[in-house]
Amino acid sequence: MKTNTMSYKCRQFLMFAGVTTAVFVAVVIVPFLYGIYLTLTSWDGVSKQKPFVGLANYAATFADGAYWQAMGRTFLYSVIAVVLVNVVAFILAFLVTSGVKGQNFFRAGFFTPNLIGGIVLGYIWKFVFNRAFVAMGNAFSIGALSTSWLATTGGAMLCLIIVSVWQYAGYMMLIYVAGFMSVSEDVLEAARIDGCTDSQSILYVSVPLMASSFVQCLFLTVTRCFMVYDVNLSLTNGEPFNSSVMAAMHVYNQAFTYKNFGVGQAEALVLFVVCAVVGVLQVYIGKKGEVSA
Amino acid sequence: MKKKLLAVTLAAAMAASMTACGSSSTDGGEGTAAGGVSITVFNSKIEVQAQFEEMAKEYSEATGVNVEVYYSNDTVAAHLATKYSSNDPYTLSMVDAKDVYTLAEDHAADMTGEKWVENTNYAISVGGKVVGFPVCVEARGLIYNADAIEGITGEKFNPEDYATLDAFQGLLEKLAAGGMENPTGIMKEDWSLAGHFLSEVYEMQEDVDGFISALHAGTADLANNAKWNGKMDYFDTMMKYNYAADSAIAAEREVSEQKLAEGEIAFMFGGNWDWSMINAYDHSDNMGIMPVPENTSDGTNKKLVGGGSKYFFIDSSENTSDEQRQAAKDFLNWLVFDQAGNSFLTEKCALVPAYSNIAAAGLDPLSVSVKSYADAGNLIDNYNYLPDDHFSLCGAAFQKYLAGQTDRAGLASEIENYWSSTTPVEH
Amino acid sequence: MNANERAARNKKINHAVKIFILIALFVCFIFPFVLVVINVFKTKADITSDPLALVGAHGFTMANFPEAMKKMNFGRSFFNSAIITICSTVFTILLSSMTAFVIVRNNWKVCGALMGLMIASMVIPFQVLMIPMVSLYGGVLGILNHRATLIFMHVGFSLSMATFMFHGAIKTNVPVALEEAATIDGCTRWQTYWQIVFPLLKSTIATVAIIDAMGFWNDYLLPSLVLTKKELYTIPIATQVFYGTYSTDIGLVMAALLLAMLPILILYVLLQRYIVEGVTSGAVK
Repeated sequence: MKTNTMSYKCRQFLMFAGVTTAVFVAVVIVPFLYGIYLTLTSWDGVSKQKPFVGLANYAATFADGAYWQAMGRTFLYSVIAVVLVNVVAFILAFLVTSGVKGQNFFRAGFFTPNLIGGIVLGYIWKFVFNRAFVAMGNAFSIGALSTSWLATTGGAMLCLIIVSVWQYAGYMMLIYVAGFMSVSEDVLEAARIDGCTDSQSILYVSVPLMASSFVQCLFLTVTRCFMVYDVNLSLTNGEPFNSSVMAAMHVYNQAFTYKNFGVGQAEALVLFVVCAVVGVLQVYIGKKGEVSA
Repeated sequence: MKKKLLAVTLAAAMAASMTACGSSSTDGGEGTAAGGVSITVFNSKIEVQAQFEEMAKEYSEATGVNVEVYYSNDTVAAHLATKYSSNDPYTLSMVDAKDVYTLAEDHAADMTGEKWVENTNYAISVGGKVVGFPVCVEARGLIYNADAIEGITGEKFNPEDYATLDAFQGLLEKLAAGGMENPTGIMKEDWSLAGHFLSEVYEMQEDVDGFISALHAGTADLANNAKWNGKMDYFDTMMKYNYAADSAIAAEREVSEQKLAEGEIAFMFGGNWDWSMINAYDHSDNMGIMPVPENTSDGTNKKLVGGGSKYFFIDSSENTSDEQRQAAKDFLNWLVFDQAGNSFLTEKCALVPAYSNIAAAGLDPLSVSVKSYADAGNLIDNYNYLPDDHFSLCGAAFQKYLAGQTDRAGLASEIENYWSSTTPVEH
Repeated sequence: MNANERAARNKKINHAVKIFILIALFVCFIFPFVLVVINVFKTKADITSDPLALVGAHGFTMANFPEAMKKMNFGRSFFNSAIITICSTVFTILLSSMTAFVIVRNNWKVCGALMGLMIASMVIPFQVLMIPMVSLYGGVLGILNHRATLIFMHVGFSLSMATFMFHGAIKTNVPVALEEAATIDGCTRWQTYWQIVFPLLKSTIATVAIIDAMGFWNDYLLPSLVLTKKELYTIPIATQVFYGTYSTDIGLVMAALLLAMLPILILYVLLQRYIVEGVTSGAVK
């Protein structure tokens, strides 16, 4: 069988990836290109005319101070949240694969936050921070709890981070669990015989073998944090004083609340480019690490 | 074996999606009820969604016109943008006054000459054509719980006696001395602070358009403006007696409304739409809305601010047929001229009617206040041309003031900066 | 002997510490749900005035459930959600695992390009695609308001992530040696894939299934754009009247939440077995 002719390659590719490519192009790529075209117009989202304005919206994007502030804020939030999510998720995965009794029960428990959709989840936590914590603070006279954390600028960010960790740690835990599972018992056994302690075998045997889990988790958390919207909307709605408006929320407001659709779309594209650079860079570095490991 | 299993799964999934598709195209089509016309209505007033759905069912039965009512918790602008982009607009859409101005030119059908136009003062016209059908009258002011006040002072509460800030402060002191230490609540939401309260500063100017132009030009001196200082003096008083003074920026609307309803506090700035929330708690019926107290002699402290609120417009595109447009017009006339339509607006939804022929019965206490001010001509008009980002950006500045992170001069200059950097709304 | 005893004791302590940390974390994770369950049996007034009380001043009430069920038209929404979730998940898994296979095993330019595009697309904020998408599918093609359209879009949006996950799994967990053996035995690539590779991916399939099913089940924005007719509403769209900018009926939200959560919880418990099993160790032997 010839495996290097053009027609063989075409047939193979179409057989396995043809449908995928078609669906993907139709759902993601085509609307995306049309979206790029819309950034070149000053459309307001509802009128029939879409006046062509060239790159004016991009100029407006770079001049929009609030947008870059939101971007910086998103960056800070993402760095902290990504680190915490992954640390917590890794610890959870380690604990629930270490042969503790009832580990399946625990796994299910840690995963439950994912049962709730983003918007509702924010409302539930808002209720927790604003009412339940405050009620507890008053009942047990705990000063730190007696006023809502959501009321201060730092507190609102902290709440967003807490909720993100709560929301994503269980999800990432699943991927790390799969990673732990894929490290074969034989290898660990060998390490034990060579005199590795538990922590040593995790650090020097499991972790390098789980490199692909790390790449996946980091990529997923980085991109999700950068594009956070649902929880931002329902938990803080940008308050207090627009100090917790993240990039995606600013984009949405710009496009729909302030009715500058073209500018909003342009800002979203810039956000996309930033995410793409960060994400791809991170995968690239991760892949290099995978090879050397 | 595996392959077979896979084939079966695939086939099952396919079949499931096919039937899903099939069934949706039969019941998801234009869905005309037995030869009748079918119209869609977008309702953006969540508190009356249940009433609307019930009414739609009854209306369909009585007239043969199939009415479907929709609601979306997305922003109205975003939701309508998606509906127009997908060529699937509602026959009738309920939006805010300012949205009518942006949507009318391209999307609204002409309703000039409709019978109801003569019966209202609040219809919106754009380019000489009537395009906006006012759904109700709403007004803003200071909500009070008279039971709570009378319980402490022991005498009948008469809101007219407290038109000036001095008198109002006297009352608050009395309440505080009588055991209600913090008689006021403040909504910290940006739409309330900037959209509803701050805008009164503009709306109560003698020449509103002139004042706004001056703000745009950067020549309006807010810090020395009498109305600004009058409103802010009142706001400072409210802040002083706020039940949530140490965490004003965390006060939740639900909690404040409950306290007001149950008489734990006596005053909060709001509008008659707040009844839908007060209603959910063990409320007093002895409540009402009064003008914001201010030490002034220009008469504005005897008036509420408000007018027509929520407007229906009819889609003018090819996606809507002439029969549907006619059915929509008939529906609007039914609301205004039919007994059942009237009772739906006033009794079921407790809305203050915007039409002179509708007798309002069964209104809630706040709406009763609003109606009495409206009937006496004591409503100052809404200013419907604020830029779209006003409530959000000025609201954020106002929240800083509420949290004690800026002073009055700082707030004034932030608002002035906002106006001088934004583009005026043409009208 | 002595060393063995110490090791045994250390192990016990270790175990106790692990259990302790697990329980502490578990309590933190589960706390919001406890609150939901407590408050779902109270009236709105009681929830607002005392969120922590086990039973509100107005007593125990079940009223939130029937009201939520009626307002969201539970049966119909449940049916829509179930069909859409199941079909989308099945298609996503089949298509993405196949694609990942061809990408991993072949060093062709087109594969690299597709993978690159897919990874890049995962960071497109949905807001960018929202309006263009409805303009094309609604405005130009006019195929909104079909469940099949939503399934198609769900699959399109989730393919990238799923392919990405299968990519990692095939690369690390599926030994090329097995495939080579199959080829020698006379299997075509297609047969090799379905008979050898796909079964080895069980744990990843379970992971992707649960993650995607969850996403589809809970998704709000996309379904709300595609399905605008009432009879097609999914659970998240049907519950939108319970919360919004101006008010949140937290009792109904919580009741709806509990009702919507159950099926996913059951699915999770069922799939859990596969996630736990782990595959590679068995395959290599």
